[in-house]
Amino acid sequence: MPEWHSRIAALALCAVLWSCGPARKAERRTDLILWKNQAGLDEEDATREMIARFNAAQSKWRVVAQSLPQGGYDQSIVAASLADRMPCIVAVDSPMVASYAWAGHVRPLDGYVARATLDQVSRAAVGRYAGKVYAVGQFDAALAIFTRKSSLAETRTRVPTLDRPWTLIEFQTFLERLKASGRHRYPLDLATRDDKASWWTYAFSPMLQSFGGDLIDRRSMRSAEGTLNGAAARRFGSWFQALFEKGLVNRKEPDESAFVKGRAAVVYTGGWWAPDYRRYAGDDLAILPPPDFGTGVVIGGGSWQWAISKHCAHPEGAGSFINFLLQPSEVAAMSDRTGNVPVTAAGAARSRDFNPDGKSRIFYELMERFARARPATPAFAVVSNAFTFAMRDIMDGKDVADALDDAVDDIDGTIADNPALASGGGE
Amino acid sequence: MSTASLPLSPRRRRFLPFLFGGPALLGLTLFLVLPFLMALGLTFTDQRLVSPEPGSVVGLRNYERLLSVSYLVQTPQPDAAGQPTYTRLRAITRTDPAYRGYRPLTQFYLGQRRVTILAKDPAFLQALGNTFLFALLVVPLQCALALALALLVNAGLKGQTVFRAIYFSPVVMSMVIVSVVWAFLFDKDLGLFNQALSAISFGLFKPIDWLGNSSAAMPAVVIMSAWQGAGFQMLILLAGLQGISQELYDAARIDGANPWQRFRYITLPGLRHTITFVLIVTTIAALGLFTQVDVMTGGGPRGATTTVMFEAVQRGVREENISYGATISVVYFVLITLVILLQQMLGRRRAKVV
Repeated sequence: MPEWHSRIAALALCAVLWSCGPARKAERRTDLILWKNQAGLDEEDATREMIARFNAAQSKWRVVAQSLPQGGYDQSIVAASLADRMPCIVAVDSPMVASYAWAGHVRPLDGYVARATLDQVSRAAVGRYAGKVYAVGQFDAALAIFTRKSSLAETRTRVPTLDRPWTLIEFQTFLERLKASGRHRYPLDLATRDDKASWWTYAFSPMLQSFGGDLIDRRSMRSAEGTLNGAAARRFGSWFQALFEKGLVNRKEPDESAFVKGRAAVVYTGGWWAPDYRRYAGDDLAILPPPDFGTGVVIGGGSWQWAISKHCAHPEGAGSFINFLLQPSEVAAMSDRTGNVPVTAAGAARSRDFNPDGKSRIFYELMERFARARPATPAFAVVSNAFTFAMRDIMDGKDVADALDDAVDDIDGTIADNPALASGGGE
Repeated sequence: MSTASLPLSPRRRRFLPFLFGGPALLGLTLFLVLPFLMALGLTFTDQRLVSPEPGSVVGLRNYERLLSVSYLVQTPQPDAAGQPTYTRLRAITRTDPAYRGYRPLTQFYLGQRRVTILAKDPAFLQALGNTFLFALLVVPLQCALALALALLVNAGLKGQTVFRAIYFSPVVMSMVIVSVVWAFLFDKDLGLFNQALSAISFGLFKPIDWLGNSSAAMPAVVIMSAWQGAGFQMLILLAGLQGISQELYDAARIDGANPWQRFRYITLPGLRHTITFVLIVTTIAALGLFTQVDVMTGGGPRGATTTVMFEAVQRGVREENISYGATISVVYFVLITLVILLQQMLGRRRAKVV
């Protein structure tokens, strides 16, 4: 071997040893594995940076993040829990919190996250079950009505405000005038092309609540009789059915951009679309609260939240991570980066977009005033599926009362078979 | 060679197939037979997918819910205007203990009397009907299409290798992607099919809401599935075609047989085993219909495109009622086994006659 070969080899060895040096020192920290769903690129980056800041801010813990595809996320958690291979910190979609708590995948946050910190967080962003807090979100989302100011003016429609939202009649008149103008084949886009139960429940159960019904009787979480098929729910169903009958809504838009392409004049969707809509409509864009269908405006609350797994060996480490991410500066950084709504007043105040003068303040206001979490019951999967199938059938012309009665029978039947599903009691 | 005539005792010879088949049998047992037996066990319990409590044995309850069928005859009561009216069905099924848990499956009239067939799980029975309807429609269509394509790319035309690759390309595409693209093509107002049909008919054609109309949705899924899958069957049939001796065609030509006669009396008989195989494979694939429906229609509109596999996933996974999902699978397995046994029995009898 020529001499320079061995010299390079020696150099390389030195380099390897040197580069290992600092890392080995860091091994004295305790690793905390974190699982999260794969979200958008901005959110991925923002989470990675937040974790890096946490790891740099203290020397005891090192959070190691692993992103899992959203499609199979739930199954991964269940499988990991059954195999006792749960990570320490897990992201949980808010309607699943009750199910995970009931199944024993996650543990209460009591003692790990300060009560005073949790009290700062908007109500729908806290995952409660059976009187205990199991998860807390760093951000939330808000549903709104998006339209053009010019459309409102042309149809001589009053601009609704947070304090005086549209009534059902005002909203209906607005839509029918738009239809009558002949410029829009289907004036309203309800994003019904997404046929996943998660969207249908998130988007339309708040409307049902605003009409005066609900998915289930939240006081007992035992039955949906009367709430999901009562008079208010039937009124909601008939109104919803008529939207499609009258051609005000397309049962399935060919793509997600009916509003951006000018096919629809009004769209009911989440604040995450605001950047696209601003680019499209500019100053003409109007972001409005959803209508008050009778008992006040309601929008869905609760996005992805953080929880500590049952098997976590160092829950205090996970707790300090959650405390860290609820600091106003972290809440603000996440929201400004991703467009998600900050869940604390202090976080919103520090945020560029969500402070009282920020361009996205409306979403914070909507969330703070109108967001209600989906029912915290381990039967949520059944509730959500039954509701979605009933609404899809109603959209396609099934008798409203029959569809809602069938949904109630599905829900009540499942709970009657498994009384333990209602063991957590009401909210 | 000495190894070929290795002296083996009869006992050893009996053992030999198991030795060679061992690895495959082990895999099959581990990943097919065992899970099936576990599923069979689940069907007698009320186990849920996510639950802190172990399921308890409930006997045949799952089967009873899946398969119960009943009927209800109603005589009309004239209302104020003298029109015959019937008591609302849900009002009976939700209160009368004899009909508790039943839902209407279908309805017809005998004179003035209204007869309703009820089932405890009409969605499953509808799905079962849909699945067999799908197989009935798609198998002939797909196989005929595949045969036509195979004949075309085997006819000795220019560039047939290119076309072989083109016709086969949908098979290698992911079914999810194909479904998403076809959902665009099927769109009522902007989709290619309606626009093309309306263009060639000079606007006389009224646009069909392919995936949103209960009677058009299943045919739409059939057309798309046949297009996607035909390339695979084409390849198998092509192999079969090339196995037919050219001499037979030459001899027939000398005897003055026209193209149809050559196809009818040489190609078809020569392909008999290949066609049988293709039919069986296509039927099996058709009975497992799931992806297209899940992506394109979500089982709708109003259950017009639900299939048994879709129902099993819906109940077992999405509603977390794994014991019920397992029951659907087991019942379906038994039904398919019966169909195949029947098919084989008929086939054997015909073979004897021939």
